[in-house]
Amino acid sequence: MNIIVCIKQVPAKDAPLSIAGNWIKESDIGFEMNEPDSYALEEALRLKEKNGGEVIVLSLGPERVKQTIKEALAKGADRAIHIADENFAQLDPLGSAKVLAAAIGKEKCDLVLTGLQSDDHGFGQTGVLLAGLLNLPHATIIMQIEVQDGKMKLKRELEAGWFQWIECPLPAVLSIQSGINKVRYATLKGIMAAKKKEIATITRESLGVAAEPTQTIEKIYVPTKTKKTEFLTGTPKEAAAKLVEKLKFEARVI
Amino acid sequence: MKILVVTEQRQGKWNNTSFETLVAAQQIAAATAGTITAAVVGKNVTTLAEELAAKNVAEVLAVENELLQNYTPDGYCIALKQIVESTKPDLVLFPHTYQVRDFAPKLAAMLGRGMVGDCVGFRREGEKLIFVRQMFQGKTAADVSFVGATPWFASFQSGAFRADMLEAHASGKAPVNTAKVELKAEDIRTKPLELFKEAKASVDLTQAPLIVAIGRGIKAPENIAQAEAVAKALGGEIAASRPICDEGWLPMERQIGSSGQTVAPKLYLALGISGAIQHVVGMKGSRTIVAVNKDQNAPIFEIADYGIVGDIFEIMPALTEELQKAKS
Amino acid sequence: MAIQREQLDADVLIVGAGPAGLSCALHLANLIKKHNTSGAKPELSAENIYVLEKGREIGAHQLSGAIMNPKALAELVPDFEKSAPLDTLVTDSAALLFTQKSSFRFPVTPPPFNNAGNFVISLNKLVKWLGGLVEAAGVNVFKEFGGAELIFAENGIAGVITEDKGVDKNGKPKDNYTPGYKLRAKVTVLAEGPRGSLTKQLVENQKLDNINPQTYGIGIKELWDVQPGKIKPGFVAHTLGWPLSTKMYGGGWIYGLSNNRVSIGLVVALEYADPRFDPHAAFQIWKTHPFVRNLLEGGKLVRYGAKSLPYGGWYSMPRNYVDGGLIVGDSGSFLDSQRLKGVHLAMKSGMLAAETIFEALKAGDTSARTLKLYQEKIDRSYIREELWKVRNFHQSFHNGLLDGFVLSGLQQISGGRGLIDPMHAHPGYEAYQQIYGRPAPERFKGDGKLTFDRLTDVYHSGTRHEEDQPCHLKVLDLNICSTRCVEEYGNPCQYFCPAAVYEMAKEGTGLKLKINAANCVHCKTCDIADPYQIINWTVPEGGGGPNYEGM
Repeated sequence: MNIIVCIKQVPAKDAPLSIAGNWIKESDIGFEMNEPDSYALEEALRLKEKNGGEVIVLSLGPERVKQTIKEALAKGADRAIHIADENFAQLDPLGSAKVLAAAIGKEKCDLVLTGLQSDDHGFGQTGVLLAGLLNLPHATIIMQIEVQDGKMKLKRELEAGWFQWIECPLPAVLSIQSGINKVRYATLKGIMAAKKKEIATITRESLGVAAEPTQTIEKIYVPTKTKKTEFLTGTPKEAAAKLVEKLKFEARVI
Repeated sequence: MKILVVTEQRQGKWNNTSFETLVAAQQIAAATAGTITAAVVGKNVTTLAEELAAKNVAEVLAVENELLQNYTPDGYCIALKQIVESTKPDLVLFPHTYQVRDFAPKLAAMLGRGMVGDCVGFRREGEKLIFVRQMFQGKTAADVSFVGATPWFASFQSGAFRADMLEAHASGKAPVNTAKVELKAEDIRTKPLELFKEAKASVDLTQAPLIVAIGRGIKAPENIAQAEAVAKALGGEIAASRPICDEGWLPMERQIGSSGQTVAPKLYLALGISGAIQHVVGMKGSRTIVAVNKDQNAPIFEIADYGIVGDIFEIMPALTEELQKAKS
Repeated sequence: MAIQREQLDADVLIVGAGPAGLSCALHLANLIKKHNTSGAKPELSAENIYVLEKGREIGAHQLSGAIMNPKALAELVPDFEKSAPLDTLVTDSAALLFTQKSSFRFPVTPPPFNNAGNFVISLNKLVKWLGGLVEAAGVNVFKEFGGAELIFAENGIAGVITEDKGVDKNGKPKDNYTPGYKLRAKVTVLAEGPRGSLTKQLVENQKLDNINPQTYGIGIKELWDVQPGKIKPGFVAHTLGWPLSTKMYGGGWIYGLSNNRVSIGLVVALEYADPRFDPHAAFQIWKTHPFVRNLLEGGKLVRYGAKSLPYGGWYSMPRNYVDGGLIVGDSGSFLDSQRLKGVHLAMKSGMLAAETIFEALKAGDTSARTLKLYQEKIDRSYIREELWKVRNFHQSFHNGLLDGFVLSGLQQISGGRGLIDPMHAHPGYEAYQQIYGRPAPERFKGDGKLTFDRLTDVYHSGTRHEEDQPCHLKVLDLNICSTRCVEEYGNPCQYFCPAAVYEMAKEGTGLKLKINAANCVHCKTCDIADPYQIINWTVPEGGGGPNYEGM
């Protein structure tokens, strides 16, 4: 199976965020692989181990994303495509999906995997949009993949403890649920081998994708608490009663 | 603005967040002098459609087709594309459910439009409609506006609006129309099989709208049952700060904080949690925060909307009782 | 049951990608390149140099003030001024004496504190940049891998075993269990920083200790963004006095970086009498001094960290060569404790090690006989020149500041000899006096704006560890903690750890040690300062630890 895994590099989870307009200051913070994407990568590597084929990493962004690409190669991906774009943090979901789809379109693949959403923008749309743009069937929040006779049986997660099996033909696009597998460690041999694996760098412009946005992020901000803490007094019974009343009628959460 | 709300049902049962989306639609309609069309999708959905007709909407559309009986992304996209093209709304709203995540962005793209998903609110700024959503796992909020022609597509996060604020129809009932859509079996590429329930191997606190969290103040594992009673009465999930999970009193998946889950539920009730920064970063995006702690200087009170300075062992049983009363 | 470990072979294995380890790697790679280009035989390869770095990325665990003497960097990278991320040249060096309410600047800054010609740097940034050069030279740098155990040979070492990954907190293998590698190398260079865990094993096993044991201080640092105009870039100050008593050796520092960023911190020798002295609290209190408070007014804490530093000086430096092994940098105590300068000495030691290894690889002999060249090179270099002059400096302060000033003054005018040469020293933990029932002091809380409690500070160190793994802090006898230590010393681990890792929690009628291993910032203070020497810091799963971005 030839599998393309879309991987995003995001600011490190614990990086102190310094807001600048509609994005954050990128200096003085670390970057890492988007955690949901690491589950997609792990799933791709497991599918390759079972079914043979190739795992190709696809990532969009500035030069620094090569570091994350190398980590994916060190874990066992075979080669990578880096779509160089300094400004990709400004792309809206459809814009970045169009770019990725253009690159994917040039490859022959059986499966495209993405994580559920990114830890920075958190749009959660890439997989579904790719399916639309590539005109492929898709399914999301996938917990399990079984491949048989050129088809897949997929376990999909729904709300409130419900699940569903779906039959899906190949080729297809899947977005993988987080936490479904234990992500492997890069081995020393893998890290050394990664140095020799191909990372093809292409520019966004070279793909000839128009980038009219459908939405703009006007600004981002830390949501400020506008009210002060309201302390509820009295006996425990009184305080509890007051609280439930507040929650019901003022905060309206129950 | 003409608003189309796509509700969600499965096997004849509502996904109740659909009503929250209708509330959002009513508020946007009020702010923009607009009208609402509510759509229900499936097979034999007339009963459900009648239910919607009792609400304050201009029209209800029953989108009927044999092939829509079970949800498939292809089926829904093809059908709803036709609906959008025929009803020509300015705004298409959805509840942000697992199902909506599966098809709505593609539907928007099929019409050459973008979708702003998982919004927690909206506001008007002059002529502009701003949609607010969370970024960086709730650490920041983002104001998003649409660019280009309508229709615009947006989904609202569960709990962003209160379903019980849904206005009833002013004069009785809105008209219910059946919308016919063209669907061919060969266009539906995935085949949904059986639905089943399973004891989930793990809990996903990030999806829980109500959370009761315990900290060191709980003192011993035997006392956790009291907090669980509060959670049950509330209908929420139990969670904990790091020390509790370190001790093994609750599994690690219940941990909230910089080394655990980051959550932003409707309600976060912190019992006996001091509010060390490692914990706070995991939950300060919560919409309403309640803290109970016997130390009035506990840092948790700095971010709490409501606070009770008291002994959690007295507050917990009292709270359980009051919550049960409120529910009945 | 023996674990099946994959084996790899390298020419050179360097444990630690800090200034010493990376200088060794880069210098060696350069020597190899010249050698190969000249057509000399045997042909060597930079790819057979492996560097292990336990942090998530190069630089993640690098922390220092820092003021760097550029002489070693100038040798290693001659055009460093064009590309090295040096923040600013020192523009003004001040020595300040603090009393509780005021500060007094020495009209003439004593020579050890005069830093003209030196650079204020972020060691993290410098090391990141050096790491880039090392990788570009073809050296294999493995991030997220630590050296867990030495592979001993008869009179030396034959390599290192890396840590097992994917083990749960009960020691059971998880789905992604990957046993550590057996990395064999012709020469293993221990560049682990102060109190290296493998270095500790080697020194003990091969009896490498000098006439004095290695002794240490702890350095606690915060990086702040301050209001414009509060400090000039390149202004550096060292403070003495308040809040440390005259019996304690240590002081504060204030280094002005560019863009209104300031590095502040306190160093304290880990040889004080009160076992419940809290270095972190002392640092927070130091910040409330009017001079510092004013500087930080309206500012914001950016990052926090702590690290031990090797104070012992020349007579405490262990023998640094064995069959197949060399010790460089802080692991070998290459620090000038008078001038608080170790970066250039670490780098120089790494370079001298590289030259030694180069000769050994060419000759095909990596035994101590050939590696001894390392010590000879050190003796002929400015390392000896600088460290010899201050060989008795730290020991002079054993009885307090007054004695120290007198003795070191005498040493200054006698080329370091002073009254007694060599001056002996004892391990720092022997300085503790028993508590004899004295009640425990109240713990420092912090105001949350200028001063912070340890947990809040630890959060700003970016420390993370894989949660589900065995505790990496091995206490050899927990019984002692609950019994003897409670009585005799009041459990100092609760006080000296700058990351709130150790706690004594009530259990029944007594106390039990609770270890919050995930907070660990890898400073090694516990391994150094515990009175019974029963705490063994071992390397946790790679990738864990602090994130000292900008430090």
